[in-house]
Amino acid sequence: MTVTLRILLIVASVLTTILLMRKIRHSKLQIEDSIFWIGFACILIVFSLFPAVPDFLSGLAGTYTTANFIYLFIIFLLIVKMFYMSVKMSQMETKIKDLVQEIALDENARRAHKKEDMPAAYRDEKEEKEPV
Amino acid sequence: MADLLIVIPAYNEADNIERVVDRLILEFPQYDYVVVNDGSRDRTAEICRKNGYNFLDLPVNLGLAGGFQTGLKYAARNGYRYAVQIDGDGQHRPEYIEAMRKKIDEGYDIVIGSRFVGEKKPFNMRMLGSNLIESAIRLTTGADIKDPTSGMRMFSRRLIEEFASGLNYGPEPDTMSYLIKQGARISEVPVVMDERIMGVSYLTPINAAKYMLKMLISILLIQNFRKRG
Repeated sequence: MTVTLRILLIVASVLTTILLMRKIRHSKLQIEDSIFWIGFACILIVFSLFPAVPDFLSGLAGTYTTANFIYLFIIFLLIVKMFYMSVKMSQMETKIKDLVQEIALDENARRAHKKEDMPAAYRDEKEEKEPV
Repeated sequence: MADLLIVIPAYNEADNIERVVDRLILEFPQYDYVVVNDGSRDRTAEICRKNGYNFLDLPVNLGLAGGFQTGLKYAARNGYRYAVQIDGDGQHRPEYIEAMRKKIDEGYDIVIGSRFVGEKKPFNMRMLGSNLIESAIRLTTGADIKDPTSGMRMFSRRLIEEFASGLNYGPEPDTMSYLIKQGARISEVPVVMDERIMGVSYLTPINAAKYMLKMLISILLIQNFRKRG
């Protein structure tokens, strides 16, 4: 690794960590979600402070240079993370859909219930005004 | 209306919920209760409706933290002074609520129903986890909590309001460590718990390991950066 890349990595990892801590501090992030990012920031810091670690891993992976290994590694991590986020987003969309449908059905049931309780004359008048 | 609310989070507890709630109604009418059905896929909601229980029916599954928070929102909205969590599987015995109530009246914010006050922990994997969390809490807060993973906890009015509106207020040990650090007074009362009689526990070995890792990272790292409010 060149000195410039190392400095860049150190600066980037420290800035990332500070940003994460600030968001956690102000309760913008759930703890489950912050654990991944803390791990990510730790890996960046380890790689930048101890270049022997990525050098060794690069040798294992058979990449041409350590810098290539770092790119590859980070891209891989982010793709996996993105996949899990995609799964989570699908689940969230399903939940929102279920919720909206539930509200509509509930509201409809309540309206039907109310109509039964109303006096007959009023009910007819109401039905003319509000065709459902 | 009583001034103490029992919150019963229930996820797929069709085999247990009737036994747990009927016992509360018959033997402990001095307390109010609310079942939070956390989007169960079995007959839990149907049983609650059939028996006329007081319950909140969540249309989707929120997980324990979200379900418990729903119960505390109910407690906050209806002006309860204390809220206590009793699991829907029947492992927490309601006869200990009285002792916890007496303790919290002394001016505590949190009272934990503890299996290990004045008793030695048995040595197994689960207790290893409990010990690790206990050490992590002692390290970061200085407080000695013998049974941090006990789900049977009672909260004061002030904390009910905080749990009802806050983010990251799951009913878990890391929240306890955070609250202690913020100056909450906490105490433990000895209780005996039963093993679950029916149904399966969520705590498979893999889930237990994940839970431990999350709790330790949260207590040792994340909770130190959190700001109150």
